[in-house]
Amino acid sequence: MSPLKGGRKKRPGVTVPNSGSRFREDGGSSRATQALTLLVAQMHVPRSSLHRLATLQPMADQENFEADAMQYAPQLYSAALRMTRNPADAEDVVQETFLKAYRAYDSYQEGTNLKAWLYRILTNTYINKYRKAQRRPNEVELGELQDLYLFKRLGEVSGASQSAEAEALELFVDDDIIAALESLPENFRLPVLYADVEGFSYKEIAEILDVPIGTVMSRLHRGRKALQRKLWNLAVERGIVEPL
Amino acid sequence: MTSGCSDAVEYVYQYIDDELTVTRKARIKWHLKHCGNCTDAFAFEVQLKEKIASAGKTEPPAELFDTLRALIQQERIQQDPDR
Repeated sequence: MSPLKGGRKKRPGVTVPNSGSRFREDGGSSRATQALTLLVAQMHVPRSSLHRLATLQPMADQENFEADAMQYAPQLYSAALRMTRNPADAEDVVQETFLKAYRAYDSYQEGTNLKAWLYRILTNTYINKYRKAQRRPNEVELGELQDLYLFKRLGEVSGASQSAEAEALELFVDDDIIAALESLPENFRLPVLYADVEGFSYKEIAEILDVPIGTVMSRLHRGRKALQRKLWNLAVERGIVEPL
Repeated sequence: MTSGCSDAVEYVYQYIDDELTVTRKARIKWHLKHCGNCTDAFAFEVQLKEKIASAGKTEPPAELFDTLRALIQQERIQQDPDR
């Protein structure tokens, strides 16, 4: 199992051996590098690619899994909670994620993005476990969404005073933000969660969700606007602002 | 609202996410220097992003680490009972 397969650019036709443990038994990664160099030389690969392949890090050692991965457990739990919206389910998803990641750790390539690798397993675990149960379409549309949705509305209700919008934003408490985030359909919620809460780049989100970067951008941007619309509706419902 | 504004607003998210090319970023930066409304709007989007970042993080239950370690230990024994 290689959860981040396709995430890295590989020269077509050149496969990198997946058996990290065998190389270690042979006496370390220098043997692995030699073997690769030989393999590549026989395939008439240009020097630049040869350099890239020869400096490839070895596969990770399962023995190091806890030392490497455990630090991400709190973040993964928090993300799982935003996905499942339920603490018991979130803990289930995180446990299954760690078990899968541990089992697959021999196929994780050291030096690559471990956090993104773990989030990809988390995402797949969540989707496999809950999307079936939900029996709802994967792709939901959000309708017409204006730019600067919340900024414009808060500006209109709070009048012309300087940075009134920024002050109005402080009326929202954490629970409002969470409610708005969790109200987003899954295909918009995950990009917003990964960009805003987890701080992943568009490229990383594309790898985690296994979608093109353009899809990440459009879903993230639309998801954020929909979140703003939800916040506005919450503010109206709670009587914080007068409906426009 | 000028054409500079609509250009800036179109790229507001890529700008605050630092995902723009150097040239486009510089062009928007220049516009922000001269447009108070866009500056406010951009600051608002950054502020909201930060609010989402802090609200979206929830501390795990205290026993999460122990549960995960036990789970992995169990798996390790199952893979290799002689350890």
